[in-house]
Amino acid sequence: MLRKLILTSSLAAAVLGAEVRVTFLRDVAPIMNKVGCMSGTCHGSAKGKNGFKLSLRGYDAQFDYESLLYDLSGRRFNRADPGKSLMLAKPSQEVAHGGGLRFEKSSDYYKTIYNWIAQGVPFGDPEKDSVAELRVEPKEIFLAKPGEAVTPKVVAQFRDGLTRDVTREASIESNTPDVARVGTTAEVKGERVGEATLLVRYQGKFATVPVTIVNPKPGFAWKQLPQYNYIDQKLDAKLERLKIQPSPLIDDATFLRRVSLDLTGLIPTPDAVQAFLADPAPSHVKRSKMIDKLIANPAFVDHWTLKWGDLLQSSRKYLGEKGVYAFHDWIRDSIATNKPYDRMVHELLTSRGSSYDEPAANFFRVTRDAKPTMEKTTQVFLGVRMVCAQCHDHPFERWTQNQYYQMAAFFSAVGLRPGYEVGEEIVFDQRSDYGMKHPKDGRLVKPAFLIASNGKIPVPDDQSRRDALADWLTSKDNPFFAKAIANRVWSYFFGRGIIEPVDDIRASNPPSNPALLEALTQDVLDHNFDLQHLMRTIVNSRAYQTSIVANDWNASDRDNFSHAFPRRLSAEELMDAVAAAAGARPDLPAVPEDIGAEQVVDPHIGKEGFLDVFGRPSRESSCECERRSDFSLPQALNLVNGRTISDAVADPKGRIAKLVLSGRGDAAIVEDMYLASLSRTPTAQESEHAVSYLSGGAKAARAQDLLWALLNSKAFLYIY
Amino acid sequence: MLNIPGHPVHTCEGPTRRELMRIGSIGLMGISLPHFFLWRDQSKAAVADGKYAGARGFESAKSVVMVFLQGGPSHIDIWDPKPDAPQNIRGIFKPIPTKIKGTYISEHMPMMAQHLDKATLIRSMSYTPNGLFNHTAAIYQMLTGYPPDKVSPSGQLEPPSPADFPTAGSQVSKIKPPKDPVLPFVELPRPLQESGIIGKGGSAGFLGKAYDPYRMYQDPAKPIKLEDLSLRKEIPPQRLKDRFELLKGINGSMPDLEKALGEYAVDEYYGKAYDLVLSGKTRAAMDLERETPKMRERYGNHTFGQSLLMARRLIEAGTKFVQVNWPSVANGDPETTAWDTHAANFAPLKNLHCPKLDRGLSALLDDMDQRGLLKETLVVAVGEFGRSPRLGVSTSGNSNSPDGRDHWPYCYSAVIAGAGIARGMQYGESDATASSPKEKPVHPNDLLATVYYALGIDPDMEIRNHLNQPRELVKGKPLADLWV
Repeated sequence: MLRKLILTSSLAAAVLGAEVRVTFLRDVAPIMNKVGCMSGTCHGSAKGKNGFKLSLRGYDAQFDYESLLYDLSGRRFNRADPGKSLMLAKPSQEVAHGGGLRFEKSSDYYKTIYNWIAQGVPFGDPEKDSVAELRVEPKEIFLAKPGEAVTPKVVAQFRDGLTRDVTREASIESNTPDVARVGTTAEVKGERVGEATLLVRYQGKFATVPVTIVNPKPGFAWKQLPQYNYIDQKLDAKLERLKIQPSPLIDDATFLRRVSLDLTGLIPTPDAVQAFLADPAPSHVKRSKMIDKLIANPAFVDHWTLKWGDLLQSSRKYLGEKGVYAFHDWIRDSIATNKPYDRMVHELLTSRGSSYDEPAANFFRVTRDAKPTMEKTTQVFLGVRMVCAQCHDHPFERWTQNQYYQMAAFFSAVGLRPGYEVGEEIVFDQRSDYGMKHPKDGRLVKPAFLIASNGKIPVPDDQSRRDALADWLTSKDNPFFAKAIANRVWSYFFGRGIIEPVDDIRASNPPSNPALLEALTQDVLDHNFDLQHLMRTIVNSRAYQTSIVANDWNASDRDNFSHAFPRRLSAEELMDAVAAAAGARPDLPAVPEDIGAEQVVDPHIGKEGFLDVFGRPSRESSCECERRSDFSLPQALNLVNGRTISDAVADPKGRIAKLVLSGRGDAAIVEDMYLASLSRTPTAQESEHAVSYLSGGAKAARAQDLLWALLNSKAFLYIY
Repeated sequence: MLNIPGHPVHTCEGPTRRELMRIGSIGLMGISLPHFFLWRDQSKAAVADGKYAGARGFESAKSVVMVFLQGGPSHIDIWDPKPDAPQNIRGIFKPIPTKIKGTYISEHMPMMAQHLDKATLIRSMSYTPNGLFNHTAAIYQMLTGYPPDKVSPSGQLEPPSPADFPTAGSQVSKIKPPKDPVLPFVELPRPLQESGIIGKGGSAGFLGKAYDPYRMYQDPAKPIKLEDLSLRKEIPPQRLKDRFELLKGINGSMPDLEKALGEYAVDEYYGKAYDLVLSGKTRAAMDLERETPKMRERYGNHTFGQSLLMARRLIEAGTKFVQVNWPSVANGDPETTAWDTHAANFAPLKNLHCPKLDRGLSALLDDMDQRGLLKETLVVAVGEFGRSPRLGVSTSGNSNSPDGRDHWPYCYSAVIAGAGIARGMQYGESDATASSPKEKPVHPNDLLATVYYALGIDPDMEIRNHLNQPRELVKGKPLADLWV
């Protein structure tokens, strides 16, 4: 009886199998991917699962095929009786499977794999059976209102020219599911007004589809606000199309506070606020003048030295004490002289010599080895994350594992050896044995650019290879270099990049406004990488000077810069602001008296203290994500009850002590406190309230309470 | 990261301010509100429907005391005596009977022998390390569930990094936060440490510093100062209230900013900080002067014992996860109570280590049991590995004295109790020389999975690391057999 059954079923399979040709490449791998076999938490994880390993998301079909075939001595297949194969029995739960039921015995997927086994598990011909192109219709989705839905069609074209509707097998994900949700049947439904991007993936190919859910509310009438430069034109063009009315400009006092913090990391002094408010020049004119003044301020240099110190991981942990000061000074000098950005990067990448005499060479002392140096270089300067590709082809990008090693090969000749002084190291080019080995077979990998250069930069195979990389990376033809810095600098003024995260630029993570990013990039190129020019252009735009107050039309917009978002002051900004407002010294141990938190050379100073609680990066990586700007319980505890604010307001030499002794009237004292902390004058009501509090008891204590409250207020903690 | 800087990560998932208004009227800074909205329990959503329906032990614990015996206690000399093994394995200690029938432990653990009827003794902890054999690698494996991947050029492990996998207590305080205004995760008396590497395997890693443990850095056996938890002398409660009233007024006069910051939950954090400082619950829990001298004596007048007593008080006050680290540096000198007994084994164990562990742990189990706390608290006592069964051999590259024992992750013991876990049971068994498990091997990940499982957290739950890659909470199977 049993034998008969087996006979019949295998016969049936043979008959079925003769009709349709089934291959691993074209038919089976997509099913395995769809049902999740190759996902990162199942067999696709670095070590596989229960002894069975597949490539992550099936990027390496050959590997997966061989795993299936040769592991377990082929027990996964029973060609005489396909139904007995583990490859079918496991996912259909005929036998226990840690990953549970993946498909039913009655499903098409089961049948396809059954036929494939019956046909003798053919791999297929990569020249015919692999996907050449993925097409999605429609290319862009517009939904007239939330609640509407559309089901895109995904078509794969194979190398042999045949096409197949793979809508069901393709993975379709929304990057913002609360705007556009993808249902189980590939239906895309608008959840709320806004924009999202669909990432459609199938067998290593991917496509992106922008989705826009338009605001259906009637009565939209575009009110044109002033446009100060091309930034506003590009933004408005998109906003009007999406029926998003941008918010109006902020007032002068709010502008001064915002732009001072963003350009110099410091809040304005009471005198600066009063002078600015008193200046009778037209608002736009005096704002421009103020911007120039702030860029010329030494604090501007401190602020951007700090930023680049983060990105280049300037820390005595890697560089030693003397080294970190040398590197810090080199960065500072580059900022102070407004060294063109391309030159600054070129100098870093081609640096050679003593870490004390040629401080730029410290760049190589942080990461030390070719691979991490390459990862840092691509992430910081190109906004490209190569780290995934070290172990497997990038799941959402075209970068392959081979490219990872080709790029790393540019740094494989960099050598480090001890210098003559204590702590000194010499960066040099090794003369032999500097080849980059591929992890799979140990063959030597020749250096090659991520993207071929237009300028035909030759790639030498000798130890000077990184000079070619520096030329290619910083050239105007490089499609990433200028774009990455334009996007990154933009993010510092708006709290998010046009591409976000700023150091994850890839086709599947598109910019929210491509025309704007294009224009900024062109501006960077036209001005030969003058970053001061870029910043000046950005903060002169109306977009930068937009209010946090949203209107009915832009309240839900998060991506198009139609209104500002409050941003918490950074750890360093906050510590300096507390000190400035209270007229006290920053709460920093072991630094000279006139050093503020913005000038601190590395995270070694004030470790485990206020700055770390408020998210100062430890400079362990060059990821922008290391700096935390969220709010937490330890922070609230510190502000409410910790010593930084409490000591500052009670400082016997501080602002309160002086004000109380000055004999000035209560209203004047209150005004000074508001100017010093919130950078504005109090309203009549605020003043009245505060004056009545001051007069209700011991003045010094009450003035401390008032300043404590001002320093704990949201208007102090946030840039708004 | 799709978040706007300044935008707290988790509030996007929580109720909006408008919903909050419905929950209760906003009092002073929202302080009268229940706080569950701020610390959203993510464990429910992560468990597939019915996955653990009726499963024994799932969600049986409200809190956890992790007694982490850093240094690597010698299992054969403490929990798993082998009197029939050759002299160079069995050592010099004699076994004594315990309250678990047929189970013997070391003669230097007499009090634990009497209190093992409240616990399960696991004798089959085991794993094979991924290359590295040092303390920090093993600690990282034990407490995060992942092998460390970063080693500095000198061969030392890297210090804690923002890319680290989060330690168990941090995971718990994010996924299943406490409802009361208490510290979610407290580490006593000091962080984990090997040589100069402090806190590796014990930090919140990619969850962000907000989820790091509260570290006291003080010795509970001595009078302690708690600056940020105690009201400052010059600020009596009324003055803090006045300050908060002023603050409320200043914030209230800028409604546009209030509105724009509505989702950032600033008021809620302030409310919680205010509660913490003013209610003094946590501060009171840390005040061991409130215990009778007799109780303090019972736990032992030393750092370890008093830390355990403080752990019990913190659990009573509502803290979710208390980790008590053995007070000596993992690779410290065994003659001054480090468990790392390469250079000297028997004398320090007999005179220093065992008496402290025996007294402290037995007091914790007994005291918590008598107070009914053990019903809903999971207590785990374990180190990062055991020690080599053979005396005087090198297994990790360290040198050992003739009576010293080296690192041994292939077989060691753990004590686990509370939250309905079997009382007076032995789980698993080692072979004749305590070199490897004879049955029921327990990988550290299984132990960690059991901790999550007991708290009602699915060990298979997917979390996202700093690169937004999906990872399992822990790759281990909960030991449901511990609940009988």
